This record gives sequence, C-alpha cells and structure tokens, in this order.
Amino acid sequence: MQNKISFHQSSVTLEIMGLPDYSNNENKDQISIISQWKLTIIDKPLIEGKVEHLGPIMNAFFIYSNLLIKDEIPIYESKLIDIKAENLDMHNILLKSSKPNVKPLTLKFGNSLLLDTINCFDQLNESSKVRVNKTGAYNTIPKKVRIGLNNKVKFLNFIMPPLISICSLILLSYSFIYFYNPVEDKEKNELINLK
Amino acid sequence: MILETIDLNGIQSLYEISNRLNLNDVLPNKVTIWKLRNNNPLRKSYVNNNIKFDEFDALIKITVEMSRYLYPYIRDILQSKENPEKNSIIWNDFNKRFIELIKERFNLDSMRVKKLLNQTKNDEVIIKSLLTLSLCVSNQGYQKLKNFLLDY
Repeated sequence: MQNKISFHQSSVTLEIMGLPDYSNNENKDQISIISQWKLTIIDKPLIEGKVEHLGPIMNAFFIYSNLLIKDEIPIYESKLIDIKAENLDMHNILLKSSKPNVKPLTLKFGNSLLLDTINCFDQLNESSKVRVNKTGAYNTIPKKVRIGLNNKVKFLNFIMPPLISICSLILLSYSFIYFYNPVEDKEKNELINLK
Repeated sequence: MILETIDLNGIQSLYEISNRLNLNDVLPNKVTIWKLRNNNPLRKSYVNNNIKFDEFDALIKITVEMSRYLYPYIRDILQSKENPEKNSIIWNDFNKRFIELIKERFNLDSMRVKKLLNQTKNDEVIIKSLLTLSLCVSNQGYQKLKNFLLDY
C-alpha cells in the first residue's frame, strides 16, 4: 500500500504518493521514495509527474517568485517549465512534457494562484513526513547579496575619509570668501603703488 | 503600513503578537513599537534612532506572524486586482484606505510619498509588498523575509 500525503492552500492541493524507506528504519506513514505527485488547482487541468520533475518545478516557482518581488524581469526558462509575467497580476506557465508527442500545457496563473502553489511547495519542503531534495532558494542569503554587502562596506570605508576631507576643505575655503574683500585689496595695492 | 491597511486595529495586533511571541524584553510596550516605526524616513514623525539587531529581528518575526494570519485577506486583495471586471471592490477599498493612511502619517512633501499617493502608479509597490508578505507565511518565513530585506 502506498502512502499519500496532501498539502492544501486555498485553491491548490499538492498530493505526494510513495513509500517509506524501510531500510532506514523509517515510520510506516513516512514517504521517502516518491512514486508520483499531483497538483490540483481549482479551474485548471491536473498537473502530475514523477519525482524527477518535482524538484525542478518547485525550484522554478521559488526562483520565479524571487525574481518577481525584486525589480528584475521575471522570466524563468528551463527544459521542463517556462514561467513569464504577462503583467503585474498574471503569469504564463508553460509545462513541457518529457513524453514524446505530448503538446506543452499552457496555464495562466494570477498572483493568488501563484502564491497558493508556492505555499504548498513550502509546506512540502518543511514537512517532516516527506523526504525530498530540499530546495534552498530562500534559506541562504544569495551570494550576490553577501558579496554586495561586504563590497559596500569596504567601498564606503575606502571612499568616505578622502571624500569627507575634500568636502571640508571646500567648505573651509568657501568661508574665506567672507574675509576677503576685493575693494579693500585694490585700495591696498594702490597705496603700495603710490609709495 | 500594508499590514495596518488590512488590519484596522494594526498597532494593537502588533503588540499582542509581540506578547504571544515572547518579545516583551525587546518590545515591552506600544510606545517602543511606535518609536521603531518612526525610523521610516517617509513618516511625518521621522526620528533617526538606530535600530538594534534584536529589535530588527523582533519586527521581522512580528511581520511574518501577522502576514500568516492575514494571508486569506492578502490573497483576496490580490485576486480582486486580477479580475477588475468581476470584483474590484476589495482592491479599490484597500487602495483607498492605503492612501488615506499615507496622507495621515507620511510626509507629503517627499517625492517618494507623492508617488505612493498616485493611484495609477502605486500598484507595483503595493502588489510587490503584498507578494513579499504572503511568500513569508511558511515556517521558514522569518528567514525568507530577512533574506528579502537584505537583498532589497
């Protein structure tokens, strides 16, 4: 008998079917060997696949959502799935079957459906009952940021002292304008010439 | 501000959540939360207090917890925006209240605030903020939101 574990979020349900790994002394209600998964979305065709499709599809959604909330152009393309933003509210998803002669499936997701799907994948990722290759799309600070933060600090440390000194020099020199009176200076020169 | 637009009793909810999460040491009362909120340079009552790391952490935890319980509302607002012909009431109400709150609390001389007040141009900011909040409702939401903020 296969185990079945479901994850729900509003209009989306993700079902995972599979068996526990008895060689690892796992509980009988656990799933470590995934045989099939199904993503049921209200008013949309059923999406199903094998374990090798689950990881790439989850990753696609996680990466796309990351791109979406940054100011980058949200486009994700891979062998299995393409996700592109139509506008701020709509996203076009193209699922490419690994079977020959099966036409790709195009779906239109609104933000609400996209969020529900990602939250279902999040629940799966965090579940202790299903063992999948955990995706760390969010869990680590992106390399770019880590480098970015260090570089920013180093750059600021490097540029700030000379910048401050130049600014203070400029300000100080400007203040001398008030002490310098060109008319008085001219008179003084005239006096010197007279002598 | 987005969370307060949805939850009419925002400051009270923030305080109750901070109690529930045992953050009393960092945020002992509503005044502390109010002071922290005033670190936003767009606010009328902006005061530049340096936010300590544990205060920053506490604010993230509260935001995640509040987004979790407001998720159904956030979802409804986004759904209402997707289908304006079918049902635009929720989105319009939300946008109207958001603008009212900004007029009440933000410095209207700031160009960034003026941009937020423009109902045709503030869509992107609102949608992205709503998406960010609703992507952080899982158990790892705290880490996600922290990463999003650091990556901003």
